[in-house]
Amino acid sequence: MLPHRSLLTICIGTLAALVVVPLLFVVLQASFPDLAQGSFARPLTHLEDTLRDPAIPGLIGNTLKLGLAVVLASALLGIPLGVLRGLFDVPLARLWDLAFLVPFMVPPYIAAMGWILLLQPAGFLQQLSGLHLGGTLFSFLGVVLVMALNLFPVVYFAVSRAVAASGSRLGEVAQIFGASPWHAFLRVTLPLALPALAASLLLVFAATIEEYGTPAVLASNVGFFVLVTGIEQRFSDWPIDLPGAAVLSVILMALALLAYGAQRWVTAGRDYETQTGKPVVRGARPLGPWQAPALLLFSSVAVLATLAPLLSIGATAFTGTLSGGLAWDNLSLRHFDALFAQGSAALSALATSLALATGTALLTGVVGALLAYTVLRAPSRSAGVLDALAILPNAMPGIVVAVGLILAWNQPWLPFTPYDTWLILLLAYACLLLPYPARYAHAALRQIGHNLEAGAFVHGAGFWTTLRRIVLPLLGPSVGAAMLLVFAIASRELVASLLLTPTGMQTVSLFIWRQFDQGSVGQGMAMSLITIAITCTLLVLASGLRRWSVRAR
Amino acid sequence: MILHTMRPMKPLTRHTAAIALLLGATSGHALTVYTAGPNSLIKELAAGYEKATGVKVEVFQADTGKVMARLEAEAANPRADVVISASWDSAIDLHQRGWLLSYQSPNAVKVPALYKGPSYVAQGLSALAIAWNPASGTPRPQDWSDLAADAFRGKVNMPNPAQSGTALELLSGLQAAHGAGAWKLFGELKANGMNISGANAQALNPVLQGAKAAVFGAVDYVTFGAQAKGEKVEIIFPASGTVVAARPMMILKSSRAPSDARKFIDYVLSDAGQTAVAKTFLIPARSDVAARRPALDSFKTLPPADAQERLGRQSLLERFTELFIRH
Repeated sequence: MLPHRSLLTICIGTLAALVVVPLLFVVLQASFPDLAQGSFARPLTHLEDTLRDPAIPGLIGNTLKLGLAVVLASALLGIPLGVLRGLFDVPLARLWDLAFLVPFMVPPYIAAMGWILLLQPAGFLQQLSGLHLGGTLFSFLGVVLVMALNLFPVVYFAVSRAVAASGSRLGEVAQIFGASPWHAFLRVTLPLALPALAASLLLVFAATIEEYGTPAVLASNVGFFVLVTGIEQRFSDWPIDLPGAAVLSVILMALALLAYGAQRWVTAGRDYETQTGKPVVRGARPLGPWQAPALLLFSSVAVLATLAPLLSIGATAFTGTLSGGLAWDNLSLRHFDALFAQGSAALSALATSLALATGTALLTGVVGALLAYTVLRAPSRSAGVLDALAILPNAMPGIVVAVGLILAWNQPWLPFTPYDTWLILLLAYACLLLPYPARYAHAALRQIGHNLEAGAFVHGAGFWTTLRRIVLPLLGPSVGAAMLLVFAIASRELVASLLLTPTGMQTVSLFIWRQFDQGSVGQGMAMSLITIAITCTLLVLASGLRRWSVRAR
Repeated sequence: MILHTMRPMKPLTRHTAAIALLLGATSGHALTVYTAGPNSLIKELAAGYEKATGVKVEVFQADTGKVMARLEAEAANPRADVVISASWDSAIDLHQRGWLLSYQSPNAVKVPALYKGPSYVAQGLSALAIAWNPASGTPRPQDWSDLAADAFRGKVNMPNPAQSGTALELLSGLQAAHGAGAWKLFGELKANGMNISGANAQALNPVLQGAKAAVFGAVDYVTFGAQAKGEKVEIIFPASGTVVAARPMMILKSSRAPSDARKFIDYVLSDAGQTAVAKTFLIPARSDVAARRPALDSFKTLPPADAQERLGRQSLLERFTELFIRH
């Protein structure tokens, strides 16, 4: 069918531009050490030097251990909350959605720093209550918990949207046939959400092994090093080792591909089309006597994951000095004053970041949905490759993607280049974040019956009409949630921005980082707080607007 | 073989090309400066230079590692005119690779010979010191070895030399000056529970809050900056001597505006430029411009590293990592 073919062409073209170009140059850099000088001389000569490092097997082991532990912890947090949110009428549901989105808006290194300032000996907690949790924080468990509290929302959003989409109808059918509620849940409702759950766990795994902020700030205190620390060390001082970093990134990508394979294996043959067009009673069930425990669960997770780091950030932003501690005479607005004194710089950084985040969310949302559709509905030999390609960027450290983009787009013979303009940041963010909408859409589409589209075709709707009127609206909730995640992450992305930001431009994350770099923790935290407040306000306004437009229709 | 055979991926290029045209990429007459922090300093220098010459300055600012990574990745088509780094080694190495334009600024006459070369010259200097929290209940340390005393058990942070170039210079300087004595000290510090934390700022924050009492090898100007903002922290220059880190400025040979670039170096080394450097609590490179903190002659410094010492750094780092991290 022609539309399918053109769809495939569009997807290949877009993926090539967004993902293949940087990826290809990372792999080329890993193979040709002098690539940056434009030379293919001495292929693979550095490989031995890099891999001879006796630390590497340990780093790979630590990376896997951390990735699996964070996946487990995120699943333990995200699945119960997601199921409750998807199946039941949880009070204040939208508030919890927003609260669980906040951890994404906080750059991981700031969150980690917040946790340290909160829990270390003499930290804010000890100043308030007399006890500290330094022992727990500065341990492998502490690192895992901090990262899981940051990442479990990926699971929460995927599971809640998937469970809500398949509805409770089939679970009720099972109960009518004599299954106990638990049995119905374990044997019917949960397996139905498996593709979404597996996809989100894959995202968590890839995001964990790629994450730099928390390992750098927290884990290095514990002496726990991962592959990304090794990569970052090759960028930290003279001499810079681009080929070595590229080799380690290729190892990371291989780990992500392994995880992708595992996810395919787990979910193979487990597609259950639950959205068949049959009318479903959409009303979520009341929680009844379980309302209070459920609320307690949601609020305690929100306190831990959202409020605790925010409090620490706020305490640092509103106190004059760190050494002054939480004392009334140390209460001060001077960090905010200092920000407003640089008003225009801070404001333009905010505008840049928000515009880029919006652009990235829209771009990745559309591309991710089209990609999932193409992979699942227009089967071809390239489909599997396209699908695998769409997870790889999530496992590539931002800094390596950035180097790949520079190598690709800074060729002297290119007549035009996005490099050194804001477009290069859009390309970088879209590359790094495409996996979120792509995986969410993929999982959602596996629940939608083919015969809905077939029905539309039979009734004379054209291909694009069907896509627009049937498929995209059904994908809406999942892709929308993924786009929110993308927006939140893109609004604070640091690592790629640090290397790629055009001369004379500044993003919020760079602004904050520069304050830290000069030792102004308070100012950095103040800017971070303002950014979170503005991002939240925008999200609330956007969701209000959407509901208003739905009602007006 | 050269990259010319490689074709870019098509679909997006037309769009991006059109928009890039609209944006005008970078305008023809601007000087591009890549610099390691501090942000306030480069802002002031750029504004002053623009006022003096009418040439606009486009700045890319990151840490030394990122600046160098961007330079390295751009090697096929360099974009920077002037580079300011925090690592003296990077200047020496770029010089040996033949990337740098030779230039002796007339304003560099008063820069001590130690801190300039044929194609690079210091912008300012910093030293590594002990940052100590006086409210920590520990005795005021006088020298590095005091931090290995019982009073500081479990209360000392050190920036990770694998992540902080200045920390590595300190190790290397101490080893060159004291040989086996330095390793004895590192061993005692390890036995005393010294913690290796991330980069410089991550080592200092716990000392400000009181979780730790002292930083072994804090970058002095950042700590003076924190002190000026009211943080209760003292900067102590160890009696047995410490390492001075000079921040080199250099002009790339590939610069399309070499005369503007030379004028920029001149401006940074002018009275106005060096005063701006002093404001950040760095020691001005020119010995005749006053520092706003203890000057170079007020504490004992170790001699700068020679070529042999520089070559030995990788194995030094491995030995240190073995001692502290992979015990």
